[in-house]
Formats: sequence, structure tokens, C-alpha cells
Amino acid sequence: MTERARLVLMLAPTVALLAGLFLGGLALAALRTVGIVPLAGRFDPTAEPWARALGAPDVLASIGVTLWIASAATLVATVLGLAAALLLRRAGGGRLMTLLVQFNLTVPHVVTAVGLLWLLGQSGWIARIGHGAGLIDRPADFPVLVADPAFVAVILAYVAKEVPFVAVVTLAMLAAVGTGPAETARSLGASRWQAFRHVTWPLIRPGVLAAATVVFAFVLGTYEVPAVLGPSHPKALPVLAYQMFTSNDLADRPAAIALSLVAAAIGVACLMAVRRLMSGLPTLKVAR
Amino acid sequence: MSAVDLAATKPADVAARTGRTGIRARTARIATGALIALLLLPFVPVLLWSVTRGWFYPAILPPALDLAAWGVVGSPESGIPAAVLRSVGIALGATVLSMLIGVPAGRALGLHAFPGRRWVEALVLAPLVVPPLAVAMGLHAVFLRLGLAGTATGVMIVHLIPTLPYVVLVSASVFSRFDPRVEDQARTLGASRLQVLRHVTVPMLAPGLAVAALFAFLVSWSQYGLTLLVGGGQVPTMPLILNQYVTAGRSDVAAAIALLTVLPGLVALVLSARILARASRRDGEGGR
Amino acid sequence: MPIRFLLSTGLVAAALAAPAAAETVSLPDAALTSAPFETITAAARGQTVNFFLWGGDDRINAYVAGPLAATLKDRYGITLNRIGVADTAEVVNQVLSEKEAGIDAGGAVDLVWINGENFRTLKSGGLLLCGYAEGLPNARHVDWTDPSIANDFGTPVEGCEVPWSRAQFAMAYDSARTPEPPATLAAFLAWVKANPGRFTYAAPPDFNGSAFIRHVFMYAAGGPEALGGPFDQARFDAVAEKAFGILTDLEPFLWREGATYPTDIAQLNALFANSEVDFTFNYEPTVFGAGVEDGRFPPTTRSFAFDDGTLANTSYVAIPFNAAHKAAALVVANHLISPEEQLRKADPAVWGMATALDLDTLPPDAAEAFRALPRHPAVIDGEALADRAMPELSADWLDAIEAGWLRTVGR
Repeated sequence: MTERARLVLMLAPTVALLAGLFLGGLALAALRTVGIVPLAGRFDPTAEPWARALGAPDVLASIGVTLWIASAATLVATVLGLAAALLLRRAGGGRLMTLLVQFNLTVPHVVTAVGLLWLLGQSGWIARIGHGAGLIDRPADFPVLVADPAFVAVILAYVAKEVPFVAVVTLAMLAAVGTGPAETARSLGASRWQAFRHVTWPLIRPGVLAAATVVFAFVLGTYEVPAVLGPSHPKALPVLAYQMFTSNDLADRPAAIALSLVAAAIGVACLMAVRRLMSGLPTLKVAR
Repeated sequence: MSAVDLAATKPADVAARTGRTGIRARTARIATGALIALLLLPFVPVLLWSVTRGWFYPAILPPALDLAAWGVVGSPESGIPAAVLRSVGIALGATVLSMLIGVPAGRALGLHAFPGRRWVEALVLAPLVVPPLAVAMGLHAVFLRLGLAGTATGVMIVHLIPTLPYVVLVSASVFSRFDPRVEDQARTLGASRLQVLRHVTVPMLAPGLAVAALFAFLVSWSQYGLTLLVGGGQVPTMPLILNQYVTAGRSDVAAAIALLTVLPGLVALVLSARILARASRRDGEGGR
Repeated sequence: MPIRFLLSTGLVAAALAAPAAAETVSLPDAALTSAPFETITAAARGQTVNFFLWGGDDRINAYVAGPLAATLKDRYGITLNRIGVADTAEVVNQVLSEKEAGIDAGGAVDLVWINGENFRTLKSGGLLLCGYAEGLPNARHVDWTDPSIANDFGTPVEGCEVPWSRAQFAMAYDSARTPEPPATLAAFLAWVKANPGRFTYAAPPDFNGSAFIRHVFMYAAGGPEALGGPFDQARFDAVAEKAFGILTDLEPFLWREGATYPTDIAQLNALFANSEVDFTFNYEPTVFGAGVEDGRFPPTTRSFAFDDGTLANTSYVAIPFNAAHKAAALVVANHLISPEEQLRKADPAVWGMATALDLDTLPPDAAEAFRALPRHPAVIDGEALADRAMPELSADWLDAIEAGWLRTVGR
């Protein structure tokens, strides 16, 4: 077998599966929002679903809050994840500590969301401790963190889940870079901060930013966290889209798909950003 | 991800040269500990809720020990034992399939340069950054046609969309550190193809591939949105059952299910840490 | 190696992807509605019924998967497969999707617990098996002339579903916190204004929250008669202004000053249980008793109904047009309305949901058994409740009210 044929055979299943399921699904979804259903042989081009999607009450607010949640969660998770990685290295990272930092990586989002609901609600565990300490009298005295207009609990749920992810990627980057460059800078008289800021950070930045982008895109499309912790309105985009998809009115369905395509489009923009970042560092190894 | 042992790559030798390391390392340890505490805080009410009921504001601690929730979790009528098996089956199936499909692609990407490589990379990265909602909505009709919607098989297949990229990316990085010439050397020394696979290739790659498999398992195990859409609510996996009890207000049962849902992740994490630790020990013995 | 990978991948995928061979449906639809019931029972033997119903209550789950399934197995050789869903709309969606995909036989759903707009959607789409209900042997225990049986949220039932249970809206309070709850809706609205932050309701499309809003609508309209019959835009507009006005005026006095609402009834129940608010409500008052028992509500929870009346509905089971096991679904539906099974279901120790049967059609001792069922102290007395029953609005009214609320109050 020629080298070329071998390569094609190795790649074909993955490419076929992803092209078929992923690109195919995306294409079918897009066609449906303009009235084309190949399977049912339906071809009635229309823009009605898009008009319906973008005309749904609060849809712009939904897009807005979704972007806010994703931006805030990404920013906080990236900063804390980076800090966690640096701290772990500085602390000489015992295996147990590393394991504990990574723990949330394995926890389904819906579990984290439920945990935060019981922790941060106005009658949640922290509020109860506040009551026990005489800080608050009634649940209403406790700050509003769940189902609040700023989506604090939603953002914190993503932070809890994604800090370990960013930390793991950062640790991998740090390991790839090694301690050499920073030590050289230090021996030349740079302060710890200067060595990090001007030597280590530029080297690990592409990986960290790529991780941040993945987090951002992920948050855009996750249903269960805002479903458990979000307010009644405006709803996060995936929640609104799912509600429309399962509505009694069949005409809502293509509109729901249109909404989820909006999220996908933002994701595609992220993909392009990631690729630029990754190409900025051709030696990036995903695992180590 | 294999960062489990990354933090353990002793920055202590760096520290040894700075003199004040003891204090700094301890500060870092305290800060890391605080971060870990914050990350794990949401599990406190989950743990407490799983062994009590009727626990209302302002009680900080549960009123009494009550294991009724575990009775519900263990009873066949609740459907939860079946959901555990279903979730395990789907996740195992998705893992095996994505390993079979993805590892060859990982080998191609990790070891070879070829035209169109960037496109393959983009295709593999895409499902990680494009929210899957639209894809699942587009596939729904096709899956219905094929009799796959609302079935565990259909859910397992659609889980390949997020699991396959992880397998490909992780195994690509594993192969990128693998020198295929050792295979040729073994062949020259008279080993059969099978013997090479068994005694050379697999032992060298096993730890990294095990991590890829664990990842795939966890990604499938945690899926919510894709399962809900393609399963149409008829394939209740653990995250879905959990949400069902949350929306029914049964905090005690929900907490018990949450703990049960976290368990495989914890086992996977410990396993992958051990696999990698063993691998790095062996690397060490093998001389660098 | 790659070839072996490919081959095994393909084989495994093919083996897993192959849909299970469709079971044959032995009786055509026409025969199902006309054949003697013994024929149907014979055809049903050995079949599995996929029964879709809301799965969030472990009493219901335990009853359906436990004693009910066991009886069906013993007596008819039918396997009952309970499929719990988070929302009945998911089941409607499933049937709609199957219809859209051209799956006219061998559908996933054999039987579904349903009413209201979900029923209307399926019926108006021609997606239900119809014309069998009144012919079931046990249908003689049902009063089909009762408007609350013959109409499901204003949609004529017309033999397309079989009544299973009755429910009626009631309010709940904690007698330790609120010794004397307001007796009328007007007094209740005044109470809310006098006790800021101590009440809220779940936002539509939550079923119970939507029902609370309908009570305000009926109050604004001056009684259920004003909103009876088919939907009428002019009548709606006239009442809507007043009703949404009342709810908007109420907003500053609600929990969180109405900036957000609980998104489902469980959230409202949790607010009530944790003393964040002082009332909750439910279309199925036995929930309060069960909730006290399973730790969702404080033991001092009690329930009441407004003197102006509260909405009552009937819930049903229906069989989709493309059900794979219609004969067995018919047998199950018939069994569900047997006096014996209805009595078991009405027992608060089992489930406690009120019977859909007309007790006058039963032998006196059987009827007495229903009347003698115990009542949990948290649950309002059935007769006190029944005296205050108001008929439901039609599903079109319901849709318009929900949409109107989302447009005006809920944003």
C-alpha cells in the first residue's frame, strides 16, 4: 500500500464522520431555516423562520446576555485558570492538589449548576450561614446571585467548570516551554514578574488564548446551566432556542434552528480565531 | 488531560536557588488550597442534601439523617439503575467507536505532513467551538428517518461529534512524540506485524491513548443538550434524570443522583493520573 | 492496521446502527375500533406499551412501573414500559417530528398522559387514534356527557383520549406562618400588596403558573362565564387590559419586585418551603400531602381554594396515530379506567389523584370505597374543593393569555 493510500485510509473515517454528522447536520439545519427540507422533498424558499426568530420577544436581549455570560465567564475563568496553573507550579504541585484542581473538569455541568443553586440562592447554604452569623434576617436580605439580571450564578458555574480546563492547558504549555527561558531572564536580572510578563507569557499566550476561545464558544451553546440558574427573562440563547424547538407550534421550529445557527455563527468566528492563534504556535501539543 | 503529572515536574529545583522558596511555596500552596476550596464548595450542599430531606432555611445543617433518596436511586421503579447502565453503555460505545475511528486519524495528524492538513485540523476542531445545538436540530429529522432518534444508539452516534475531536487531538499529540522507526527496527529484527503491534506500538502508546479514551468517556457521560434533542427525552441518561428530579423539586434524590453522576469522572481522573504516573516512571527508568 | 481498523469500525457501526426490526402490527386501525375487545386483548398479548408520562414524581413513577405494570403483565401479558419525560411537550414534539419525517407506523409513543394544548395540538394535526374511547368496556363507568369530561380545555374529546384523573387548582400556605389565608382572590391580591415580597408565581409556559394567571383573568372578567366558548379576540382584548393591568400593578409587591419569576413550579415550591414566599399553588393538591411526606414542604403546610372558585380539569391518556402497539395501548387504557385500578391510584398512599369515573355508575360499596379514602391533612377536602370548581378555558384562550403575559408583564 502506498503511503498516500495509507494516510487516506487513516483519515477517511474521521473526516467522513465529522463531515457527515457535523457539517451535514449544520447544512440541513441551515437549509431548514430557509424552507428547504431535502428528506421530505420540500422546497419552499422563505425567510419567514429568520423573521420569526429575530422577531421573537426579547431575542436581542437573549443574544446580548449570552454574549455577556460568555465574555465574563471566559475572562474570569482564564485569569483564574492561569493563576491556578502558576500557583500549582510554584507550590510544587502535589499530585493530590493537582487532582483536586482538575476535579471539576470531570463533573457534568448540570451537577455544578445544581450545586451552585443550593449554595448561592437567597435561601441557600451561604445565606443560611449568614443567618446563623446574624448577618441577615430573611432570605430577601441576601444578595441576589441566582436568577439575577447579571447572571452571576450562571457565570460562576462556568468559571467553576472551566478554571480547571484553562489550568490544565496552561500547565501543558508551561511544561512545553520549560523553565529555561524564564531562568535565563532571571539570571540576566529580570524580576520574577518581568520574567513572566516578557518571557514566559508570550510563549504560553497562544495556548491560553486558544483555551479561552474554546471556553467562550462552549458557553455560547450550553443549555443546562442557564436553564437551572437563569432568570425567567431574558433567557440565554440556547434556552430560548430549545424552548422554541419544542414549542407546540411547528412553525417555531425552523425559527429555533435559526437562533441556534446564530450561536453557531459566533462559534465559527471563534474557530477562525483559534486557528490563527494555533498557527501562531505550530509546536502546540494538545496533551503535553 | 495529561497535565496530571505536569505540575509535578518539580519547579523545586528552581526554588532551591531563590532562598526564600519555603515561604513562597507555602503561600502558593495556601492560595491554591483556597482556590480548590472555592471550586469544590458547590459540592458541600450536594453532599448534605443526599443524606437528608425537609432541610429548609435557615437550618445550616440537615435536621436528620435520612437515606430515602438512596432508596429511590436504587429502586428499579425510579428507572435510575437502568439510567446508570444506559449512560455507561452509551459512553462506552461512544468511546470505543471514537477510538476506532479517531486514533488512526490522530496517527496521521501526529506523524505526517500532507496537503489539506489544515482543513482536516479545522474539521476536527470545529465541533469543539461550534455550539452543537444547530447540528443536533438539523440531524433530528434524519435520525428519525433512520429510526435512530429516541434510541440509545442514536444518542451514542451523535455523541461522537464531541468525543471524536478529543480523541483525534489527544492521540495526535501522543503520536507526535512517537518515533515510528522503532516499529521498522523491530520488523528488521524479525518481529511479525502482530508482534510489533503487541510488544512495541501498543506499550509505547497505551498511556496516552488511555487518556484519550477516558476523555471520550467523560465527554459522552456529561452530554446534556445533544442527548435531550436527539433522544427526544426518551433516552434518559444520568444528567437528564438529574434535571428531571431538580425540576420536580426533589433535592434529596437530585443530590444522590448528582453524586452518582460525579463518580465515574472521579474514577477516570484517578485512573488517568495513575496511568500517566506509571508512564512517566517508565520513561524515567528507560533513561532519557 | 488501518484496514483492520476500518473494517471493525464499519462492522461495529453497522451492527449498532441497524434499527431493530419493526414489530408487526396485527390489527388495522378500523379493526381496533370495531373488533370485540377479546380480539384486541388477544392481539395485545406479548406486546410492549411505551407509556410516556411526566417523570418527575417518584410516587407516580413507582406506581406506574410497580403495581400497575405488574398487574398488566399478570393479567394481559403486556409489558408496560414507563418513559418519564420532563415535559409532555417533548412527547408532542416527538409525534410531530415523526409525522414530519413520514413515519406513519411503528412510532415510538404508544400511550401518553396528556391534556390541554398538548391534546389540541395532536388532535388538530390528526395525530391521534380516535373513535375508540367510548367503546372500551370500562368506558361505561365514565360520564361522557359531563362537559368537564367531554371537553379537554375546550377541545371536544370525541373519542380521541380516555379520561384518567381529575385535578383542581388549590393554594397552599404554611399554617405556622399564615394562620388565616385570604378567602377570595380579591382578598388575596390585597394581601400580596400588604405583604411586599412574600408572593410570586411561576412564569408561563409553566403549567401551574399559567393556571394562576387564568384565575386572575377570570376574576378580571367577572367569572368564568365571560370567557367561555371559543376564543374571541375582541373579548380577549377587553379582559386582557384589565387582567394584565392587575398583574402589572402587583409586580412591585412580588418577590424580587417582579424583576424575575420562578421558571417552574418546583422553584416556587422551594421558595415557599424556605420561607422566601408564603404561598404556592398546584393544579393537583395531593402534591401538598406527598410533598410533606417526601420533605419538599414543611409539615405545617395546608391548602385551600378561593371562594370565587378554582379551575378544574381532567387529564387523559391518548394513543398516537402511528403507535407501534395500538392493541396493547387500548387494553392498558381500558384497564386504567377500571374501578379497581382507579381506586388504587386514588389512594394517597399510592398516588392520590382523584378518579375520573362517575361514582354513580358503580355499585354502592365500590363508590363508598372511593369516598372512604383517607386524606392527608395538607390536602384540601375533596368536597370543599369540588364545590368551588370552575371549568377550564379553551386551549386557544390559554395560548393567547400566555403569549399576552410574556409580551406585557413578563418582560
